[in-house]
Amino acid sequence: MSKLSDSLLERTSKALGAPALLVLEDGTAFEGRSCGAQGEVFGEICFNTSLVGYLEVITDPSYAGQIVTMTYPQIGNYGVHGDDRQAATPALRGLVVRDMCTTPSSWRSAMSLPDYLREQGVVAIEGIDTRALVRHIRDHGAQRAGLSAMGGTAEELLAKVRQSEPIVGVNLAATVSRDAAAPAGPLPESHGFAVAEPAEARYKVVAYDCGAKDAILHNLVRAGCDVTAVPWDTPAAEVLAMDPDGVFLSNGPGDPEAVAGTYEQVAELLGKVPLFGICLGHQMMSKAAGAAIEKLKFGHRGGNQPVMNLRTRRVEITAQNHGFGLVFDSLGPLVPELSGGATAHERDLRCWVERGVAPVVANERFGRIQLTHVNLNDGTPEGIAFLDVPAFCVQYHPEAAPGPTDSHYLFTAFARLMDGRSDYLDIDIAADRLNGWKFGRAPQAGTESEAAHA
Amino acid sequence: MPKRDDIKSILVIGSGPIVIGQACEFDYSGAQACKVLKEEGYRVILVNSNPATIMTDPGLVDRTYVEPITPEFVEKVIERERPDALLATLGGQTGLNTAVDLARAGVLERYGVEMIGCDLDAIERGEDRKLFNECMEDLGIETARAGYAYSVADAEAIAADLGFPVVLRPSFTLGGAGGGIAHDVDELRAIVAQGIELSPVGEVLVEESIEGWKEYEMEVMRDAAGNGIIICSIENLDPMGIHTGDSITVAPAQTLTDVEYQRMRVASLAVLEKIGVETGGSNVQFAVDPATGRMVIIEMNPRVSRSSALASKATGFPIAKAAAKLAVGYTLDEIANDITKATPACFEPSIDYCVVKVPRFAFEKFQGSDDTLSTRMKAVGEVMAIGRTFEEALGKAMRSLEDGRVGIGLDGRNAALDDVEGLLRRPTAERIFFAADALAQGWTVEQIADATRIDPWFVARMADMVAVQQGLAELTLDELDADALRLAKQMGLSDAQIARLTDSEELAVRARRIGEGVVPAFKTVDTCAAEFESSTAYHYKTYDAAETEVAPHSKRRIMILGAGPNRIGQGIEFDYCCVHASYALQAAGYETIMVNCNPETVSTDYDTSDKLYFEPLTFEDVMDIVEVERPDGVIVTLGGQTPLKLARPLEAAGVPILGTSPEAIDLAEDRDRFSAILDELGIAYPAAGMASTFEEACQVADSIGFPLLVRPSYVLGGRGMAIVYDGAQLEKYMGEAARISPDHPVYLDRFLEGAIEVDLDALCDGTDVYVGGILEHIEMAGIHSGDSACCTPPFSLSESVQARLRSIASRLALRLGVVGLLNIQFAIKDSVIYVIEANPRASRTVPFVSKARGVPLAKLAARIMAGERLAALDLPADDRRLDYYSVKEAVMPFGRFPGADIVLGPEMKSTGEVMGIARNFPAAYLKSQLAIKYELPRSGTAFISVNDRDKREMVPIARDIKRLGFDIVATRGTAQALEAVGISCEVIEKLHEGSDSILERIAGGRIAFMVNTPFGGATRDDGYELRMAAVRHGITCITTVAGAQAMVAGMEVVRESGLDVIALQDLPQWEDQ
Repeated sequence: MSKLSDSLLERTSKALGAPALLVLEDGTAFEGRSCGAQGEVFGEICFNTSLVGYLEVITDPSYAGQIVTMTYPQIGNYGVHGDDRQAATPALRGLVVRDMCTTPSSWRSAMSLPDYLREQGVVAIEGIDTRALVRHIRDHGAQRAGLSAMGGTAEELLAKVRQSEPIVGVNLAATVSRDAAAPAGPLPESHGFAVAEPAEARYKVVAYDCGAKDAILHNLVRAGCDVTAVPWDTPAAEVLAMDPDGVFLSNGPGDPEAVAGTYEQVAELLGKVPLFGICLGHQMMSKAAGAAIEKLKFGHRGGNQPVMNLRTRRVEITAQNHGFGLVFDSLGPLVPELSGGATAHERDLRCWVERGVAPVVANERFGRIQLTHVNLNDGTPEGIAFLDVPAFCVQYHPEAAPGPTDSHYLFTAFARLMDGRSDYLDIDIAADRLNGWKFGRAPQAGTESEAAHA
Repeated sequence: MPKRDDIKSILVIGSGPIVIGQACEFDYSGAQACKVLKEEGYRVILVNSNPATIMTDPGLVDRTYVEPITPEFVEKVIERERPDALLATLGGQTGLNTAVDLARAGVLERYGVEMIGCDLDAIERGEDRKLFNECMEDLGIETARAGYAYSVADAEAIAADLGFPVVLRPSFTLGGAGGGIAHDVDELRAIVAQGIELSPVGEVLVEESIEGWKEYEMEVMRDAAGNGIIICSIENLDPMGIHTGDSITVAPAQTLTDVEYQRMRVASLAVLEKIGVETGGSNVQFAVDPATGRMVIIEMNPRVSRSSALASKATGFPIAKAAAKLAVGYTLDEIANDITKATPACFEPSIDYCVVKVPRFAFEKFQGSDDTLSTRMKAVGEVMAIGRTFEEALGKAMRSLEDGRVGIGLDGRNAALDDVEGLLRRPTAERIFFAADALAQGWTVEQIADATRIDPWFVARMADMVAVQQGLAELTLDELDADALRLAKQMGLSDAQIARLTDSEELAVRARRIGEGVVPAFKTVDTCAAEFESSTAYHYKTYDAAETEVAPHSKRRIMILGAGPNRIGQGIEFDYCCVHASYALQAAGYETIMVNCNPETVSTDYDTSDKLYFEPLTFEDVMDIVEVERPDGVIVTLGGQTPLKLARPLEAAGVPILGTSPEAIDLAEDRDRFSAILDELGIAYPAAGMASTFEEACQVADSIGFPLLVRPSYVLGGRGMAIVYDGAQLEKYMGEAARISPDHPVYLDRFLEGAIEVDLDALCDGTDVYVGGILEHIEMAGIHSGDSACCTPPFSLSESVQARLRSIASRLALRLGVVGLLNIQFAIKDSVIYVIEANPRASRTVPFVSKARGVPLAKLAARIMAGERLAALDLPADDRRLDYYSVKEAVMPFGRFPGADIVLGPEMKSTGEVMGIARNFPAAYLKSQLAIKYELPRSGTAFISVNDRDKREMVPIARDIKRLGFDIVATRGTAQALEAVGISCEVIEKLHEGSDSILERIAGGRIAFMVNTPFGGATRDDGYELRMAAVRHGITCITTVAGAQAMVAGMEVVRESGLDVIALQDLPQWEDQ
């Protein structure tokens, strides 16, 4: 940036951040400006296509080990409200945006996003052509990258990128889990204007915290669960000793293969207690059933992924954040009489959408497992249900945060599962649509007391 | 679910003429739907009275009825065609209302027609405020507190309860007509009284004011299986209180947190389900209290709307196309995403750019009307711009408006503002510019946000833009380096703005910018933020330039420059021509590249041309595209004035211009050079002169005599034109002209009073000339050709006169060197044919002539411009006789501009047009009137009041009116003239005099129709008040004698034989062999 352009920029609200660099493992480099903390970080480059909810993304523990690119260009518009965070501190390695806002506008905003990033030590870069970067990732796949706001050349940074630790094979969940069991934190008070009061606690649930998003725990609480979160590697016996009505397996970052400490316990739990898993939790259940996991070329990250529930044939628009996925055919051979007569697996699971069948495989450890959810964009598996033990899981995020809440019904489904119902997944999402939300006038001090509608 | 095979034929109802609040977006959506239904194998029948639409092209559907969209005519079509189903959710409010009428009248049931997409109950729940509010109460979603008033007293009681200000919404009026905000009892009384009159059920909703809140729109789709998706969220920059059609809007929503957005999202989906929209697209509007997040639903439209057209263009998701497929039974997951071709349509588009829509107003056309923006839409068009940031998009949008601005903020046109506070508080078309000026003068973001209630986020972005502009103003062009130039461009500044700020020339800025390597990149609108590969070339320009996405070229390419925003004088007709050119050139093997910035149009549909650039039509923006596309030719003569004015500069920059050369265009536009050519060819034209002062004007008047047609030398749509009859009027005009445009002289032409005006559209390839059609105007000369009704073939011109007109056209076209289209306006007086003007470009009448005579002139023009010869096209003889008549009538927006006079004159005021086709002229004329007024006076009292010039000609017409069974009341002078020849009539006193005044009778519905011709130039006379009353009460008011004559003849024909419906497919159509 020339002196002249800096002098023009100084007149604006934009901060004159230090020059910053983003370099990918394959040598591609982008120059921009720092808009967060000073520093130099390395991680896997990925992108998120959500139009709203940047703070939820930034604080999602599943981003541990990653440098996240927001595809929407202007980030920070409505500032930062602490109650929107998904964890106390961000776990991502770095943030890449096109344009960072220093003058947020929202009645809920407590501080600007760049101030928050600096406070939390998150290295961030702005002013790069993020669309070009995203297209590059799409065409060349996920890879390591380095983000530096410390000066130095692209060559120097590239050398460091190539020496940095790859994400595959690393247990990142351990880094964002907790040290000891504890009850799930209180519901965020400031969401009271929009979100309904919790149901009365009827279920005792133990949640494996592999980097759980707060919104998941909050949704469990709202669905009537008394939640105790436990560390990622808590032995199954210890969990069972707590005598829970159900066990929940959380989302979490990185390579599921590296999280044996969790899925080995899950194998112990399956069949002994109702189980529900989200994202990494879905992969943990799959691993427990002996399935293979693959790394996706560039993952699903955003709030617009269409998923069909094969049992109800309704499409849910889902929030997703994963770079690894279940290989469905590795769960076992098809059971033709429960799979519309089909005997051979197909890689593209959208074939089941066309056939109108939710196929069932015979798993050698846990019996029959049904494919319940399929991604309509690429035909990957999004959810399975165990038919012979009380357990189900989804690859995507029914808690959304950020993203559409079409899949909120899955929390209700978990409650039904704990009630012992076999039709627990057959819920009309339209009927569930407004559950959990609150409309009508917020009980604000100083306004008229009588609400127009209850 | 696969598509339904129990229905075979589907009736589609269009939206009729372009009016404020219902523009060509419904041609865009309707044409998409018709195409889809045809592709799916259905027999498609269409009713639409608007000939300037793509959807009424005879090749698009099986049966095209260019007939009035009234229950009566649509029933006739149903009776003849026996469709199985009716799709009414794509034709705007007009289509929906007509369908509702047909359903209520039992017509649909009688003929076994099923309403698809949305049934009657759902429409009623969506449109009826009471039913709607009940539904919302069931859902627990809050609406604004309100009550219904059936009298002014009711309204006062409700307002006393709610507290002022209150919002007033008359029930069942189009586009919120008659609504408003009352801040006190006086305003309340005025608006309610008018609203009760306008509302067909005499009902006005009185609502708590949420003025100043943030306003949002959600574009929602739903299928029969119950899947629902949000296509796009839109945030209005202008706060609640300004109609969304008049607001600057931004997509996606910018200032909502995830919690707020997701709550709005689920509410939108739940509303669709509750209202019972079975399939298709809907628009749901919300208001959010910026201080508390309290969310209130405002309304929903159970149909495709203007906002859905915008959302389609903003995201690339074809809402209308999808809605049509859903209506015939498909589900969202069964439809492919048209843009990626690889993923399903059942998803929510993610975009990685910012979209800004800015309305285009035309208050200068309607003097006397209030230009304050309110809940009643007044914009006549809009532009959309795409940028990677709000700043970039806003800058682009502001230079797309075709109003002489080159962007927002410091652009050399700023004046020191006097009453900044007042200018910021009153919402107007100009307020956004005042806000930028105020920032430059040191107002803070907070002050401006407080005064305007525009969210501070938007104001802060504008403040950054202004700050960079102020920095540039201190520099010279030579000082600007690459980084500084890039920053300026990323802040949305145009080259022209940088030139003004640095006191240099636009071309110099361009040269320096390119020299410094600051060139833009082109990105793609792909529905998915680049997550998936996309195969559709829908591009926008940005200075985020690490990578450009324009595909390499293979074929010969032709670029078509579109028409920009709709405004008066430049409407859908030009878009029609551009679209036809694209179709024809694609068929001829070319790759076509469309450039336009109007989101309402078919031309900006991503599948109309091979490539679409959604960009402003300025020299800078067009040149940037030319430099990446390197087209073999550029067409500038089909999009009206907007591209035409670029012809010279583009040619000077070495761009190959197709068709008529810029030199030839100049030859026709330069009055002196054109007169010389007419002299050379021995063609008559009215005597003329030019003057800059009143004294000079008097000299001209002395030599050519009164009356005079006067106009500024820079003219679009007859702007500033007038007819002056004496020295006093001339003095007044010259004074105003000097004030408005001191640098331009005024043209004075001899006005041929009482002459017959004729339009002629012709094609010329340099060797041969083909006359597409001769249009005889119904009103005499002096009414702008765009506002006057016309008929082809001519109903009163002899064969020999027509032959002479063709001969003049032929000689003129060849002499000017026209390659493509030529429009000539003639006036015929005392057997002398005068040429008024010639325009070597597509005219407003091209679509009408093409449909009326079955020869697609715009398509042919494009092919000729690309090098084909007329001789090789095998066209039907241009002097062939047709056994049917087609009438085009203009549609006026006066109902939207209370206070503006409705008298027609040389300044164009119409927004759209309708067409009537019949075996004789009066029947065709009558159809055109029915297509606008929706009602034919059959009996009762006619009120006649004409000026002295018209009295003699009015006599035989009055006799016919009497004979048709009407009673006549007339003002004193008119009555004397009638009684003198034995026509009995009641004399009525001037306006407010007497016990049963004419105004009372109009208000009481006791006048069936009126004929009132104006008295000279004064606008605030009795006639003015009468005409206002007619507009308010929807009474047919004819302001010319010729119009009255045609109307009466038409009524007579109907009495005798009725009006039949005619499909275009039954008339001769030329088809390319």
